[in-house]
Amino acid sequence: MLLARRNLFRDRTRFLLSVLGVAVSIGLILLLAGYRSGIYRQASAYLDHAQGSVVVAERGVRDFLGTSSVLPAGSEGAARQTPGVAQVTPVVSQFVIFEMHGRKDGFFLVGYDPAKGGGPWDLAEGREPAVDDEIVVDRTAARQHGLAIGDQIRLLDRDVTVVGLSGGTTFWAGSMAFARISTLQSLLRAPDLESFLLVSPAGGTSAAAIADRLSIPGTEVLLKGDVIANDRKLMARVYDAPIGLMVAIAFVVGVLVVGLVIYTATIERRREYGALKAIGARNRILYRVVALQALIAAVAGSVLGVGLAYGAATGLMAWRPQFQVEIEPVAIVFVLAASLLMAVLAALIPARAVARLEPAEVFRG
Amino acid sequence: MSTLTLDVREVSKRFGDGETAVKAVDSVSLAVEPGEVVLIMGPSGSGKTTLLSMMGALLRPTGGTIHLDGTEISALTEGRLPDIRLRQFGFIFQDFNLLSALSVLENVAIVAELAGAGSRVARDKAAALLTELGLGERLDFLPEKLSGGEKQRVAIARALINDPALILADEPTANLDSKIGHEIMRLLRGIAKERGRSVVIVSHDQRIRDIADRVLWLEDGAFRDVVTMATDPVCEMAVERERAVRAERDGETYFFCSRGCRDEFLGGTLPDDSRHPRSEIAVR
Repeated sequence: MLLARRNLFRDRTRFLLSVLGVAVSIGLILLLAGYRSGIYRQASAYLDHAQGSVVVAERGVRDFLGTSSVLPAGSEGAARQTPGVAQVTPVVSQFVIFEMHGRKDGFFLVGYDPAKGGGPWDLAEGREPAVDDEIVVDRTAARQHGLAIGDQIRLLDRDVTVVGLSGGTTFWAGSMAFARISTLQSLLRAPDLESFLLVSPAGGTSAAAIADRLSIPGTEVLLKGDVIANDRKLMARVYDAPIGLMVAIAFVVGVLVVGLVIYTATIERRREYGALKAIGARNRILYRVVALQALIAAVAGSVLGVGLAYGAATGLMAWRPQFQVEIEPVAIVFVLAASLLMAVLAALIPARAVARLEPAEVFRG
Repeated sequence: MSTLTLDVREVSKRFGDGETAVKAVDSVSLAVEPGEVVLIMGPSGSGKTTLLSMMGALLRPTGGTIHLDGTEISALTEGRLPDIRLRQFGFIFQDFNLLSALSVLENVAIVAELAGAGSRVARDKAAALLTELGLGERLDFLPEKLSGGEKQRVAIARALINDPALILADEPTANLDSKIGHEIMRLLRGIAKERGRSVVIVSHDQRIRDIADRVLWLEDGAFRDVVTMATDPVCEMAVERERAVRAERDGETYFFCSRGCRDEFLGGTLPDDSRHPRSEIAVR
């Protein structure tokens, strides 16, 4: 242990470089994992907060975000008449383009009936839309566009007035906005349009039982949890591959940095390790010295990396609030385990070099 | 004090196979007694280092046997050799090979720890040994801050820390100037005589012949001739019997470094234990 520490700290610059290399690698992994978690959190934010535990959608539609849904006429009434149903909340969802101060931006617009729910769950400022042509927009988007309550924005062929700002509604591909359901029906020229029904069971009735009982022609009945999972799968299809690739690259970079530093330090001390072997040190002791050096660098780098990730996440969210980075405790446990794996992998080649040392070589000048 | 003896019998070492095989050591025999200092000399490529490596259980012979205290170490499995090297041998290297990141004290203590001593015990033992070797003021120094002679003293302390029976030294004076080299050799001789350790030294250095009990000449992998040393009874210098000035007195033969010593001796009294050579020829 002493020899490992001394060998490592003897060249402080090299040690710091290895720690920094691991820190950047671990920080990046954590940041990417946090970004992915943030995307998932954003993707399920609406359904997480909306009432109901069963979702009724158009037949064939199994997610909330990725597919347009148009329910058959009479679906809401049929749902209300289903035994065990306590509440039915109809919503219309539509991805729309707002024009604000000459700039266009995409919004996930939800039409809802304030009396039945399905609107913003965190109204940070102002009020809910009381009449058509009033709208609540995401607070972060409003800040970015310099919007305040009372401002007007162009939506399709009409101007709407901002009457409220909502929190927690920044969305992965833009932001959310909320209007009365009649506003959307009017805009889309579909007077009875309903995209989804959010159904709440009465006390004593399970969501699964309600889902079984809801038999409305032309619809798909799903548990809300399944819809959320489907939305996340949708996100996963888009994000998991590139994020996974970047995590893998960051991990490999970390392994290479530690490996290279420990390998160089080992080769430089080749004669010293040879002398130790000649004196009688067993290979496993020398492996331990090499592995401990890698471990110290990896763990120190990881601790710094966690700090870096939190710092970068805070900075990123302050700079671009639409990016939500959720660094979860499980991710920290994961990166600490990854750093241990990093140390083991990084020590493999140097340990092999030590194992191959012939103790008799130390007598050969 | 250990009574272990290294007994090398008909040991050979061949590198390679077939027509390209090279015989580095050819049927060499040698017995090293406790307290004896044996110097093996010879030209480059004569097999000195190969022989030393085999004696130290660092290299396995292709023929013959090596016994240490009756145990045939040349037949032991690889797994048992590190323990033998750690506890029974003390190694001194030409380039010192101290651990550059550790202090003088730690360089010595780590070898005791490898042998199972606790950290505190190892450090206390190392400190005592280093102080005895004149390095008490250098315990916390890094090797890079030491002179060549000091480094070799640390290496000697490291070799002694586990109380080995046999010390094997490879060119211990090669990187030292003449005066320091001689000091180191006298130190090794003192260790052999006072602590009963056997010392085998491989060296090119002609200047250190006088501290050895026996000088062996290795050439083409085999001992060619031997030199037996005797002590000049006047100046106590080690001299080669074959080349020394001789004198007879009371039926005994005495060996002198010069005529001056002989004349002084013949005109004076006889010191104790000065009439005999330090050891007899023991090459088989």
